[in-house]
Amino acid sequence: MNKPENRVDKIVSDLLHGRRLRLKGGDAEEKAAITAAARLIGARQGQQRMSPAFRKRLEQAIESAPNQSWLTRRAALVAGFGVAAGVVTGALVGRTLEPAAVAQRQLGGAPIDPIGGRWIDVAAMSDLVEGQGTRVTAGSVGAFLFRRGETVTGVSSICSHLPCELWWNGGQDLLDCPCHPASFTPEGKSTDPTYPLPALNTVRVRVTPAGRVEVLGTA
Amino acid sequence: MSAGPPNQRSDAPDEPGELLQLPMAPRATDIALGELQIVYAFIYARVGNRADAEDLTQQVALKAIPRLREGSPASAIRGYLFATARSVLGGFWSTRLGLSEAELHEDLALAVPQAPPSEERADTVQRILAELSDNYRRVLELRFLHGYSLKEVAAEMHSTVGAVKVMQLRALRAAAKVKVYP
Repeated sequence: MNKPENRVDKIVSDLLHGRRLRLKGGDAEEKAAITAAARLIGARQGQQRMSPAFRKRLEQAIESAPNQSWLTRRAALVAGFGVAAGVVTGALVGRTLEPAAVAQRQLGGAPIDPIGGRWIDVAAMSDLVEGQGTRVTAGSVGAFLFRRGETVTGVSSICSHLPCELWWNGGQDLLDCPCHPASFTPEGKSTDPTYPLPALNTVRVRVTPAGRVEVLGTA
Repeated sequence: MSAGPPNQRSDAPDEPGELLQLPMAPRATDIALGELQIVYAFIYARVGNRADAEDLTQQVALKAIPRLREGSPASAIRGYLFATARSVLGGFWSTRLGLSEAELHEDLALAVPQAPPSEERADTVQRILAELSDNYRRVLELRFLHGYSLKEVAAEMHSTVGAVKVMQLRALRAAAKVKVYP
């Protein structure tokens, strides 16, 4: 399988089946053949159009991108705190946060913005129990999500002190670290006043019009 | 929080005065969303698959749109989007295959497309194939244009699967050397 003709044919087969380019280190030797294959396959069906679903995702990604001056104030407010709940459709206006409610939750650390990040479907709104932590993964991003009414927030599942996976202590409504005596609130704030740890990173969360919860993660 | 009227500007002046109803100019973002359709086709034609094309188009949008100036003409927005698309594609190939900017020069230095490139793309394939020897052209036509499996190509060409694989690789190497753009 290590022969170049086999490696290139695997890539050609993937492309012919609509799969993405999955390249390995040794493939660089055949870069000319691989780019030629991609171009031939890209050209064989003429101009490609964005699917309606992708166009919608693109619009949502643009609307919920952080720190952009052109965003609407409402979208900026929501996205800036890691929750973009249906900012595009008017039907979901009721899901956006009130300013006061948002301010109280602005306790987590910096949001996780993976380079080339993708919105990953992680759950349905109905899967999340009010006030209870739900562990999800979005590619390489692990997070605990918390639902409050129609809004969802999320924090990293990794302790900010030691790189250990936190667990949800439902009895005390805290995220506990198994590696040392440290706990965090659902907002990601350290609970120990004498030895406060950095806040947990927040994760970007949004709720789709279909009621699906998505986290900005990796493919 | 209640939603304001559509397209309400947050920086509207507070002073009272006569309000003029002016036609709303399209936002740079809205123009860009329309132009991204052409960007997507441009990228797809080079990576050959939807998933990568979508990822890269989204990268272009998130990089370029925040830097667009309101009031810019569509042509300027298209130019900026394609400059960003070339940069993103260059990063994609250099990361995946170690291709240098010089190797990508031919592809990335293209003029900004002015129209949907469907006919141009089909023409491109024919120009590439026309430059190849009969066997190379045949194997690429069957495999890429007709979607034949290796077995089917081998049967059609009275050859073996192993030989077809080797011929396919050599044909692709030869195709890569064809100068597509003047």
